[in-house]
Amino acid sequence: MGRDLVKTAETIISVRGLAKRFGTKQIWTDLNLDVMRGEILAVVGGSGQGKSVLLRVITGLVQPDAGSIQIFGKDVNTLTAEETIDMESRWGVSFQDGALFSSLTVLQNIQVPMREHLDLPQAIMDELAFLKIAMVGLRPEAAHNYPSELSGGMRKRAGLARALSLDPEIVFLDEPTAGLDPIGASDFDNLIRKLQQTLGLTVYMVTHDLDSIFTVCDRVAVLADQTVVRTGPPEELRKKPDHPWIRDYFCGERARAATA
Amino acid sequence: MLKRDQGVVLPTSVKVPGFRVELEGTVFRLEATGSWTVHQATKLDSALKRLQVPIPPTPDFTGEMDVSNIAELDTAGAWLLQSTAERWRDTGLVTRFSGATKGFAILIEEVERRSQAEKPQTAGEGGVSRLFADLARTMAGVWQDARQMTGFLGAVTDTFGRIIKHPSRFRMLSFIHHVDHAGLRAVAIISLICLLIGAVVMQQAAVQLQAFGAEIFSVNMLGILALREVGVLLTAIMVAGRSASAFTAEIGSMKMREEIDAMRTLGIDPMETLVAPRILALIVALPLLTFIGDIMCLIGGGLMAIAYLGLDIATYVDVLHSVVDFRHFMAGMVKAPFAALIIGLVGCLEGLKVEGSADSLGFHVTSAVVKAIFLVIVFDAIFAMFLSAIGI
Repeated sequence: MGRDLVKTAETIISVRGLAKRFGTKQIWTDLNLDVMRGEILAVVGGSGQGKSVLLRVITGLVQPDAGSIQIFGKDVNTLTAEETIDMESRWGVSFQDGALFSSLTVLQNIQVPMREHLDLPQAIMDELAFLKIAMVGLRPEAAHNYPSELSGGMRKRAGLARALSLDPEIVFLDEPTAGLDPIGASDFDNLIRKLQQTLGLTVYMVTHDLDSIFTVCDRVAVLADQTVVRTGPPEELRKKPDHPWIRDYFCGERARAATA
Repeated sequence: MLKRDQGVVLPTSVKVPGFRVELEGTVFRLEATGSWTVHQATKLDSALKRLQVPIPPTPDFTGEMDVSNIAELDTAGAWLLQSTAERWRDTGLVTRFSGATKGFAILIEEVERRSQAEKPQTAGEGGVSRLFADLARTMAGVWQDARQMTGFLGAVTDTFGRIIKHPSRFRMLSFIHHVDHAGLRAVAIISLICLLIGAVVMQQAAVQLQAFGAEIFSVNMLGILALREVGVLLTAIMVAGRSASAFTAEIGSMKMREEIDAMRTLGIDPMETLVAPRILALIVALPLLTFIGDIMCLIGGGLMAIAYLGLDIATYVDVLHSVVDFRHFMAGMVKAPFAALIIGLVGCLEGLKVEGSADSLGFHVTSAVVKAIFLVIVFDAIFAMFLSAIGI
């Protein structure tokens, strides 16, 4: 429903000819990837294929050796410092373990981007932060807890709430369901789907979780052989696995269980 | 942020947010326009607050939030509309939304559902009661600290007892590492400080005593002071600053990353592996450092005596020899292992008290240094009174 509504062919992130080398290890040569507005894209690949590095390169945390990245139609390498900050407030990143600031409560963590980028009265910030807390499915009592007092799943949700603080257009998720029990993981999948529909988000997630791929993702990009070897809907990749890694991944024991 | 029409790039004029309220028949209509996003929330909020809530003259009047001219909407905008609608409803006006696209409707409904959750308040206290509460907490904290410290001393003693029974369980490598770090590497800085303070004490004493023609007695003063108090105190304070903080930071960061819990589950006793070698290393290193500190104090004083009083080395050593007794040296030296025990206990205990956050680590490192220095000085004062009472 809402998903179809916002899904258009507009390319929101476009990566061209990316190359990166760490020491003697070449991570990618000539990597190309497009992310469409309003879709949920999963990036999968074996260990050491640079899934997390790609997320970091796109969000500007790591510099690539070669290649260009366009987000919202602008080349991120040619931006001024001001434009970069403006662009950063249009996306949110949720790290694996939440990466919450340990000296702040959940409520304060969510308000950090608002304080930094906007000039809002405290009352509104409180209201909005409580709203985000409710939207990611945390109990309101968690608002005044410190990150060390939360469970792993709650930290992930709080990290997501902080990423959503400014109603970004793109959300990057690094292994959102890793370390969660199956029920928690499936709750999180539904949450991502629900938020994507409600807020019209574009979701870029790095994941290993076959269940999340088959339940929420619109498209999958497979990293292998130092590039993106295939992109497409998960069902399509499962039916036509024309790459050995994709065959192992989508047609193995676990994939059969996930799609059964 | 949701746009009404995804494909269109909006001109700036359409983005300016605004609203107006009009009465049409029996319908109060709020017509919102432009871009209702978090960036505009402050302006919109104060304007909406100024807006008078319409009071329905008869029950058949209704309210309507017309969003059909909103170009962009996000959570903040939806919340502003929603809370305005809520205020209208409070006066008995049945208020509904109109003109929402599918996306807008989902967002508005979600915000409406979520904003009804109870918000827990942090318990607020008044200024005075908070002051008293703080005082009470601090006093309770002092008592708590004393209890924990005593308990920890017991645990450490117990550990040493076990190590004596099974000497093979003593971590020799770790012990040597800490003697190196807390002892050997502190030699330079402690020597320098003691040399300087020795010289300063000598110079000050000489200036005061010169008025009575008794400047030679400044050597007595320096000799006694350096051996009984200054050498050991300076060394202990320096070690408290260097090593208590290091112990807390090392053990604390292991605690933060659950390494200590991991050790326990592997059947390794952290008291044996982490605490005992550190405390024992300090007990060995601090007396040695104190000896060096004493000597450097005397050398500093001597240099000053030669430069300022014009004594020659032989006279200085002679006077020193006639004044200073072995008991004076011992009165200082006997305090060193006890100071070491205090510093080691405080440093390790604070480390074990660290909890999950980076804040907590910083807090405990600071408190380790402050407590270690404070306790060393208190205990030095007690020793000074005790030793003079028994005539040493």
